[in-house]
Amino acid sequence: MKLTIPGLGRWSVPLVVAIVVLAVLPQVGMPRAWITYLFQFFMILTVANIWSLHAGRSGMITLCLAGFIGLGGYTMTIGSYFGIPIPLGIVLGGVIAAVFAFLVFFPVYRLKGVYFAIATLVLPQILQYVFLIWDPVGIPLIGGGAGYTVIGGTLFSRIDVYWMALAVAALSMIVILVVSKSKLGLGLAAIRDNDNAAASSGVDVFRLKLYSFVIGAFVVGLAGGVLYLRSQYIQPITAFSIGWQMTAILAAVIGGLRIQGGPIVGAIILTFLHFWLAGYPGYSMLIQGIILVVIMLTVPQGIAGGIGRLRGTRVHRTALQLATGIADRIRGKDNV
Amino acid sequence: MLTISLLWTNMEKRAQEISQEPLLKISNIDVFQGTFQALWDVSLEVKAGEIVGLIGANTSGKSTLLDTISGLLHPAKGKIEFDGQDISTMEPFHIVELGITQVPEGRGIFPDMSVLDNLILGSYSKRARSRKKENLENVYQHFPILETRKKQMAKTLSGGEQQMLVLGRGLMADPKLMLLDEMSLGLAPIIITSLYKALQEIRERGITILFVEQNVRRSLQEADRAYILEVGRVTLSGTAEELREEEEVKKAYFGV
Amino acid sequence: MIDISSLAGPLVNGILWGGLFALIGMGLSLVFGVMNLINVAHGDLVILATYFAFFLSTGLFMRYNLPFDMDPILSLVIIIPVMFGLGYAIQKFLMSRAFKVSAEAPLIIAFGISLIIQNVALRFWTPMSRSLTPPYVLDAFVIGPLRIRVVYVIAFVAALIIVFLLREFLRRTYLGRAISATAQNKSAAHLMGVNTGRVYAFAFAISMAVAAVAGVCLGLIFSFTPEKGIQFLIIAFGVVIIGGLGSMVGTLLGGIIMGLVMTFGGLIDTNWQMLLVYLVVIVVLAARPQGILGR
Repeated sequence: MKLTIPGLGRWSVPLVVAIVVLAVLPQVGMPRAWITYLFQFFMILTVANIWSLHAGRSGMITLCLAGFIGLGGYTMTIGSYFGIPIPLGIVLGGVIAAVFAFLVFFPVYRLKGVYFAIATLVLPQILQYVFLIWDPVGIPLIGGGAGYTVIGGTLFSRIDVYWMALAVAALSMIVILVVSKSKLGLGLAAIRDNDNAAASSGVDVFRLKLYSFVIGAFVVGLAGGVLYLRSQYIQPITAFSIGWQMTAILAAVIGGLRIQGGPIVGAIILTFLHFWLAGYPGYSMLIQGIILVVIMLTVPQGIAGGIGRLRGTRVHRTALQLATGIADRIRGKDNV
Repeated sequence: MLTISLLWTNMEKRAQEISQEPLLKISNIDVFQGTFQALWDVSLEVKAGEIVGLIGANTSGKSTLLDTISGLLHPAKGKIEFDGQDISTMEPFHIVELGITQVPEGRGIFPDMSVLDNLILGSYSKRARSRKKENLENVYQHFPILETRKKQMAKTLSGGEQQMLVLGRGLMADPKLMLLDEMSLGLAPIIITSLYKALQEIRERGITILFVEQNVRRSLQEADRAYILEVGRVTLSGTAEELREEEEVKKAYFGV
Repeated sequence: MIDISSLAGPLVNGILWGGLFALIGMGLSLVFGVMNLINVAHGDLVILATYFAFFLSTGLFMRYNLPFDMDPILSLVIIIPVMFGLGYAIQKFLMSRAFKVSAEAPLIIAFGISLIIQNVALRFWTPMSRSLTPPYVLDAFVIGPLRIRVVYVIAFVAALIIVFLLREFLRRTYLGRAISATAQNKSAAHLMGVNTGRVYAFAFAISMAVAAVAGVCLGLIFSFTPEKGIQFLIIAFGVVIIGGLGSMVGTLLGGIIMGLVMTFGGLIDTNWQMLLVYLVVIVVLAARPQGILGR
């Protein structure tokens, strides 16, 4: 019996299985702490996937992740003051982030490499100041950071938020898989390797990059909404801070920037890292920065890439045999 | 003192001509550009005081060969020897110190610097700095127009003048061997003729020359010996007279 | 009715701030022009220099019981060589390897360095806002209705001096010419016997030396926190873009324009000030990335 979801190819089975398992876990008595760990993992996986979609597969190094997250978070939060149900607010957050991405892409896409990257770096800063100035809610601001709490956020339990995060992460995986298998993905791969060659082969560089940018913004916007639902409080200085950008880059690079499944490996490692470093407040970003530099200089293809280098070796062949053996078993092909 | 050193350099030159050891010796090199193999088992010799031509079409690998000699690329296999030393793996600046200078394709001027500054930069290497004044005089002798225009920005010069500038700059490096890549590209025949005349004068100074040309006729006129490069391999070599007799060359000569 | 005399203040101050911004931009422009690398850690490196000055002007007394504190400007005698060496080391050991890895690697590594520096500074000096406070920090020249702070003038004069020094260096010394040449045509410079590796390292080192001066001036004029690096990076970027690459005078002009944007934006409030600055940068990027005076 062949179980494939159109567009996802041979990863459909593992993906569906994983999603189902992860969804069911909280109900079957998983330790509470794991809910937190996995939530973090889902968030990191989402941003790592999207950053790698942009930087690894579309040839655009973007540094505006924080902008999308913050926008998603703010949309959801502000919406909660105006009676917009939170789940809708989250989806709206994704939409707003996507619209923002759509609008800013036009003035910026012609810029090359570094110019483009810095332009995207400026965006979250702009948003930060916009929200410092603009107070659409009109109530006295809570706390010294000029922030808002989420109205009605406490109605959602840890587990509810966990499922939302799982949904967003799953969406990001689906986006990555669909993009890589579709015509969009093929075009993007061509662009990544050589802009001009792609253009002269008839690839509409602008449109493909635009789609990639906007879709990525949507997903990250959703993540932002979920993230701030969990924290229950948002303020401009932290909503647009560089932290998530750093994490995304590190996860994508550690896992392997141009490798399938690289972000997954990277997200796993980074989740461990985050919780290990939680015991040393103040050193987390520092260590991440050092690791990033070291990895880029020593193993730039990442860990999954390093495994790719094992291809053809005996280790790889054995692993492959094991894996296909198990997969065959699941599909019902027993050699009895 | 002066006469003794003059005698000595003359003896040196005589010694080199007699010894027949080539100044530049390339032995069976393979060169890759990325994963693409540009040169296959190429061997070549240039003796001191010669003018040698390297003839071939655009895709023949001529520029790759010059870049390899200059150290911008390194051979994957084989050896390059200059003046007795193995330079196959040396860095470009080191090779310039030894006395090889390349006048690159497309002029390679520094556009926003003056003519004089461009020339002075030519004497960047330690070996050339001490002889900066003399060499500058020589350059002005060969190309008086450069002295006239010495304060102008290099990018304001005409094509022919720019070529003279980079030739002059090459001379400022006090070279033993000059490599010229496609000197006549985009220039009028009259100018090309005067450039090659200058080349002969440069040879009179004792500088050895290896030049790359697409134009077969011109190359065989100006060179003592020549090599023909096709798709990364040396297909023919010999003295200019010998090559003029060759069937293949005759075809190219008459422009097929 | 617009009161002209009330505009004179922001006008003069904007021009003077332009000196500081030009100083910050010059280091970025040098590195960018020579090796086509936007050092996204530049802002943080400038602030690092500011923190060095801070340490030397307060830490010596408080922590090590030395009977004096160093005047920040005097401390440049120490800070410039330290930053010079730091720049040389960063290029030689980190960036040069990054170039060989891939086209994006230097950008990502600079990003990593940026975060490392921010967090080191956070660790040593906390997120508290600091200032350099030598005795003359609040002194001002009073000309009619205008109060012009001495430190603004110092920064502007410093900028002029450095522009001049850099220009002469690039034009008259062999190393300077080599740097210029490498920026204009790298392979031709290579063929001239220029050791491009060394040129890059020196260019980065000089950029850091200029950043040292910029850092001290910054600390005298503004308050600073470890996280302000990005803000100044963006301002520096704006300066370089407006002024055009490769032109030292252009950088001065770019600095002045950014300075004016900031002072006039400041008439609204501090948040609008930064917002306007960022918007200007984006607009200039979108409209004319090669700048007004650029090549």
